[in-house]
Amino acid sequence: MRKMSKMKRCIVLFALCALLALSLVPMLAACNDSSSTEGGSGRNVLKVYNWEDYIDPGDSEAGRDSMINDFKKYYKQVTGQDIDVVYTTFDTNETMMTKVLKNDANVDLICPSEYAIEKLLTAGKLASQKEIYQELKPTLDAKGIQLEGMSSIGNGYGMIEPAVMDVITNMFSSVVASDGKTYDMTEYMVPYMWGTLGILYNKNIISQEELDKYGWGVLWNIENNEKLENKILMKDSVRDTYAAALFYMYEYNLLPQKYGDIQNAQDLINITDDEMLAAAEAVLTEQREHISGYEVDFGKDDMINEIVYADFAWSGDALWAVEESYDEESEYDDGCFLGYYCPTGTNPTTGKERFSNIWYDGWVIPKSVSNKLAAMLFIDFMCRPENAIRNSVAIGYTCAADRALLEESEDVCAFLEDQEYDIEEYFGDIGRYPEINQALGVMRDFGARNEHLVDMWQRAKAGSGVDNSLWIVLAVLVGGVGIAIGVYFACQAAKLRPKKI
Amino acid sequence: MKESIRKKFRLTKKAFSVPYILFLLLFVVVPLVLILVNAFLDSDNNLTFENFKTFFTSSSSLIVLGNSLLVGVITTVICLLIGYPVAYILSKMSSGKILVLLYVLPMFINFLIRTLATKAIFIAMGVELGMGTVLFGMVYNYLPFMIMPLHTTISSIDKSYIEAAQDLGADRATVFLKTTLPLSVSGIMSGITMVFIPTISTYAISQLLSNGKIFLFGDSIQLSFEQGLYGVGSIMSLVMLAFVLISNLIMNKFNKNGDAVRRSLW
Repeated sequence: MRKMSKMKRCIVLFALCALLALSLVPMLAACNDSSSTEGGSGRNVLKVYNWEDYIDPGDSEAGRDSMINDFKKYYKQVTGQDIDVVYTTFDTNETMMTKVLKNDANVDLICPSEYAIEKLLTAGKLASQKEIYQELKPTLDAKGIQLEGMSSIGNGYGMIEPAVMDVITNMFSSVVASDGKTYDMTEYMVPYMWGTLGILYNKNIISQEELDKYGWGVLWNIENNEKLENKILMKDSVRDTYAAALFYMYEYNLLPQKYGDIQNAQDLINITDDEMLAAAEAVLTEQREHISGYEVDFGKDDMINEIVYADFAWSGDALWAVEESYDEESEYDDGCFLGYYCPTGTNPTTGKERFSNIWYDGWVIPKSVSNKLAAMLFIDFMCRPENAIRNSVAIGYTCAADRALLEESEDVCAFLEDQEYDIEEYFGDIGRYPEINQALGVMRDFGARNEHLVDMWQRAKAGSGVDNSLWIVLAVLVGGVGIAIGVYFACQAAKLRPKKI
Repeated sequence: MKESIRKKFRLTKKAFSVPYILFLLLFVVVPLVLILVNAFLDSDNNLTFENFKTFFTSSSSLIVLGNSLLVGVITTVICLLIGYPVAYILSKMSSGKILVLLYVLPMFINFLIRTLATKAIFIAMGVELGMGTVLFGMVYNYLPFMIMPLHTTISSIDKSYIEAAQDLGADRATVFLKTTLPLSVSGIMSGITMVFIPTISTYAISQLLSNGKIFLFGDSIQLSFEQGLYGVGSIMSLVMLAFVLISNLIMNKFNKNGDAVRRSLW
């Protein structure tokens, strides 16, 4: 009898749990909804979902308001209405995508990277800005608003850098979704920031000549520089590190035979077949012996504190670190002991060209948009040269606004001078404004191959077998204990032996 | 009517456990059910066994698991080798209670802060980060979990056993081997459980103290979830859970008469 009731209780308990689990899923979703529509229906709200630290936070000492507050003022000025901006952030594209793909992100604006935009686009989660523009045109015309900054509304380049737009058009003008539909990405997004991948290096350890000579090989310490050994950091990010491996293999003729005729970066970095993955795994495993480790956040600090001497970095992060390393008494021309190098040209030893990656982040409007007008105005506001440069200076990345427009704008020049930049130097920095050509490739979404990439990455990081040193440690420990016990019993035995008289 | 309700609802000990049971249901059982459900779903929410296949056929996952188990075993052995003498000496000293507190004190500081501080010390000393530093970090973090139960067990051993052994002419080593050690087996077992189980699943310590170069099972689970591979990540969590259960079962087998000790510990 007792047993029976116990079993019953167990069943009831289990059913309760299952019920709770099931009810919890929609409940959580509901929570999410209610929190993001805060402000109620009567208020005018814009919900922005952006990267962490990816917008000008303002400077209270200089009397400069934050970009968000300035947008609120602008919105009031052109529409006569107040608006609340609900600003939330994400730290990786994957976090953001999971939310958006599961319809948990109830937002009006997102700022993903190019491959994430491609993925969201093919999943049918994004709204066409061109169509929204057509829909809003009467309202905009009535208010006398022109969205001349945006590149997505059939307005040519808008205020966006033509060279960057061309890269996007070349790559993504007809993205094919799994259902066979094609999308033109340029109608769905407006670029916000862009940059390259390269090497942040310490000038005291690595000279310009060495960079020119070894290129990507620096990250493999190919010259066996003793000072550099184990003082290199790589990105703890599958896609970026994979790209570095491919660039390195190309430069040093390590690619599998069948890829001998690849001519440009674009084709190279979008290969993800098994043979290429195996080759990349081999060089990444080899690299593991020469580097200090993998990071995504502390690399800049470690470079500034000279704990490591080379870091595989995104251009924006790198330029920020270079500026931080400024020292008035420095022996270098620009006063910074750190430098950023995006490998270009050809390797003098192998005669092979050096490639790198060009990436960009852009504003997209998801289908969950509830305030189209504010979303469009916000994007347009961000494209204005005077605003774009503020974001750019605040976060270190290169804004996608047209460089010619920036250089012409008096506001921009005044702002840069105010921030103690030399205008010619600022725009002439090839770290910030590299030449955009065939040597810079865009990386697409790897789709179903991503899983294999992650698997390869795990193997490269874990090593090819169980760590042998661990077995040795274990053997020493067990052996030590064994010997101790043996000695003890030997002593015992010696004691017990009858003493000779 | 009222009377009967009052009769039914009595403020017994059981009533006080209701909030705790609800908490357990919400934050332990429900997440476990979610993991179990996720393990059988692919990215489009269809029922599948593919995740199992992916995990058990991928050499990298198994290597990572093997590494983690080895690190767990080594950490446990080192903790036991250091922890037992310390606990033994402390239990013989009159001021032992206060000294134990000193050992346990670091546990009150968040382990992330401690680990970051350890890393800063290693960098300042110029020690190269790698397997050695990871093992150090593990032992440092989990040593108190070994000393605590051992100390409780050894100090609660009835002194008359030892005195009896001495009266009967045993020397110190024999006294230790024939009375103290067998009587403290339950403490050893709970110490091993409390060190081994957390070490096989840590990820922050290995990541921080090796700059991400040492990749353990916890890191692997984290990577899967970060990359949106929920199915495989859930399988890994289940495997982890299986190891926890297995080691618990083994420990309980060894530890049948350790109930008294466990009661005194908790």
